[in-house]
Amino acid sequence: MGTTSISLCDVGRTFGATRALAGVDLDLKPGVTGLLGPNGAGKTTLLRLLATALPPSRGQVSVLGLDPEVPAERTDIRRQLGYLPQEVGFPRGFTAFGFVDYIALLKEWTQPAARHAEVRRVLGLVGLSDLSTKRLRAMSGGQRRRVALAQALLGAPAALILDEPTAGVDPEQRVTLRTVLAEIARRSIVVLSTHQTEDVAALCERVIVLDRGLIRYDGPVTDLVAQAAGRVWLADDPDPAAAVSWRTGTGRYRNVGGRVRDGAEHVEPSLEDAYLLLRGGAPERQPTGELA
Amino acid sequence: MTGWHLDDDLLRRYAERTDSLAEGASAEQHLLSCGPCRARVNAAAGVIDVAAVWTRTQDTVEVPRPSVLERVLRVAGLPAHEARLVAVASAFRGAWLAGVATVLAFAGVAAAFGHARGMWLFLAVAPIVPCLVVASSYDPWLDVAFEPELVTPYPALRLVLLRTIAVLALALPLVLLFGLVVPGAAAFAWLLPATGFVAVVLAASTWVSPLRSACAVSAAWLAVIWLLAARSDAPEAVLQARAQAGFLILAAASFMIFLIRRRRLRQLRPWG
Amino acid sequence: MDSRRSDEQLLLAVAERDMGAFRALYERHAGWLAIRLARRCNDRDLVADAIQDTFVAVWQRPQGFRGDGDIAAWLWGIAIRRLVSRLRTPGGVAAVLGSAESAPAAEDQVLLSVEYGDIGQALARLSPEMRAVIQAVVLDGLTAREAAQLLHVPLSSVKTRLYRAKAHLRAALAEGSS
Repeated sequence: MGTTSISLCDVGRTFGATRALAGVDLDLKPGVTGLLGPNGAGKTTLLRLLATALPPSRGQVSVLGLDPEVPAERTDIRRQLGYLPQEVGFPRGFTAFGFVDYIALLKEWTQPAARHAEVRRVLGLVGLSDLSTKRLRAMSGGQRRRVALAQALLGAPAALILDEPTAGVDPEQRVTLRTVLAEIARRSIVVLSTHQTEDVAALCERVIVLDRGLIRYDGPVTDLVAQAAGRVWLADDPDPAAAVSWRTGTGRYRNVGGRVRDGAEHVEPSLEDAYLLLRGGAPERQPTGELA
Repeated sequence: MTGWHLDDDLLRRYAERTDSLAEGASAEQHLLSCGPCRARVNAAAGVIDVAAVWTRTQDTVEVPRPSVLERVLRVAGLPAHEARLVAVASAFRGAWLAGVATVLAFAGVAAAFGHARGMWLFLAVAPIVPCLVVASSYDPWLDVAFEPELVTPYPALRLVLLRTIAVLALALPLVLLFGLVVPGAAAFAWLLPATGFVAVVLAASTWVSPLRSACAVSAAWLAVIWLLAARSDAPEAVLQARAQAGFLILAAASFMIFLIRRRRLRQLRPWG
Repeated sequence: MDSRRSDEQLLLAVAERDMGAFRALYERHAGWLAIRLARRCNDRDLVADAIQDTFVAVWQRPQGFRGDGDIAAWLWGIAIRRLVSRLRTPGGVAAVLGSAESAPAAEDQVLLSVEYGDIGQALARLSPEMRAVIQAVVLDGLTAREAAQLLHVPLSSVKTRLYRAKAHLRAALAEGSS
């Protein structure tokens, strides 16, 4: 089998006049990589490229040692790849089991007994074994997201590309998913995009920050967090010198970046702080609190 | 609930069927209302493979039942898993087919009544039905599970062709049936145009979404029919050999283009 | 094994399409139901099929349980009837017939507890055929028609035997009490 890595070499993608990705270089190995960035940064486009759903406008993509431009190799890639798109629609009248079974058919699970066992396995991984016969249209958004994740997990793929896998999923389930993904990442490449920095902090060794089609940061999570060391402090009021500040649950204000006042009450930076700092750049006012 | 329970000895004899008449009956009566004793009996003997029966039960309950179309396809020779893939396309929803049938019935009956308008209506509708139904069987807008489906190893070309064939196998007899009530050559004159349009849609789907191209083709055809009907009363123009030959060439050329560009089917957004 | 919920709670969950509850119900009851069925039918495959049919029926109509009595009794009612359905096929007949001669005491069953020694003894003196009818109709709650199918005897035979068995029992009881 090919090597377990994904590499992008000066990859770009444009849609008409819009440049979604520009000159991206990437080299992914087994483990979990988080993809952060504002809406429109190109995360979904990048993930689609990795999942062979989209060809690049320029540059080279190599997935598991194979070239997606060659049809035979593209099919080989897809045999070892699981993809969770940002939006998944479900055909009418399908149950959770039925839908995952359908995708399993497309993934060449031709033997019914083996296929059904595999479908049950992945439904078990996402905690939906009990709801296998429930109609998708009758499920909550989070449950549907988990069904969509289950189909990506079919066949224990070597490359798992997930676009916002935890969107709408409740906190308990997110913890379960993190465990599942961590286990898979021991042998497979897992790339996930999310708006939740806690997911990245809890799960990923490596984080990529994307902004307007360019990579702003690519490296260990700990290093990114370290960039914010000494630049986060608490105060009773929002500090005008800070780049970003917001009111926390305790009633005090958390301030990040900008000009740090002497004698300020420093706190340990979180990944969210570091991310905001990276996005904030110069000490101007930014929309508070939100990961835009 | 008394404090009386099956002792181990009686339980063993019960499970091994070496108990006496009265013992067995009293054991069974007791078991009907005592959970703990039932659990002990469960643990005792292995009359059946409980786990294997569970798997079969689970299958009966969880696995989706094959639809009528799926069973027909299996009988027609398609392997079970492919029959399911083909049958699941949205074009095979009952509502769709009912709509198609209604339209055709309306047109056919009108034609049967001898009105020239009816004839025109039938000629307008019959050729575009197959291409519309084919387009709906794999259009991303209607096929909501499109994106995860796309990134699977199953050959898209094979899926599209199988669905097209299955849809045509369904739609054609339907149209033919209604066509039989239509007098004259019109009953079959629509076949070549229909084939041509299906081929055009298949070819166009390597550029734009199938439903879009099917709608465009349909609109163009309706416009042509409208013009012809406005100019003359008799639909002979369509039935002429030259016109029919033209449709045949259209079909062949379009299908060639489709085969040449079939790679495009595998990428998201070869269509907008 | 889900030991926290009662059978009733599991059944309610099954009505809500809860696969886990369904499995728990199965694991609680499939074993003893199979054993009890096997005491009426030698063919293990038929017993397995009947168990499968039983639980599929439970899944499809959990509301069939009216809330009266034990769920175990309700399940047994479904199971024995499913076995009878399966026995309608030619192959099934031999399975029941075979049981008549073989294992002595166990196959021929009699109702009521050992406290009622009189009846126990009275019934013990019934012929195997009589006992089988009593068991089918009284113990298992089958109708005469269903008993006829299970035992593969004509309906008229069942009725006759039932009549005679009751007469025999009445006599034995009258004897015992006087």
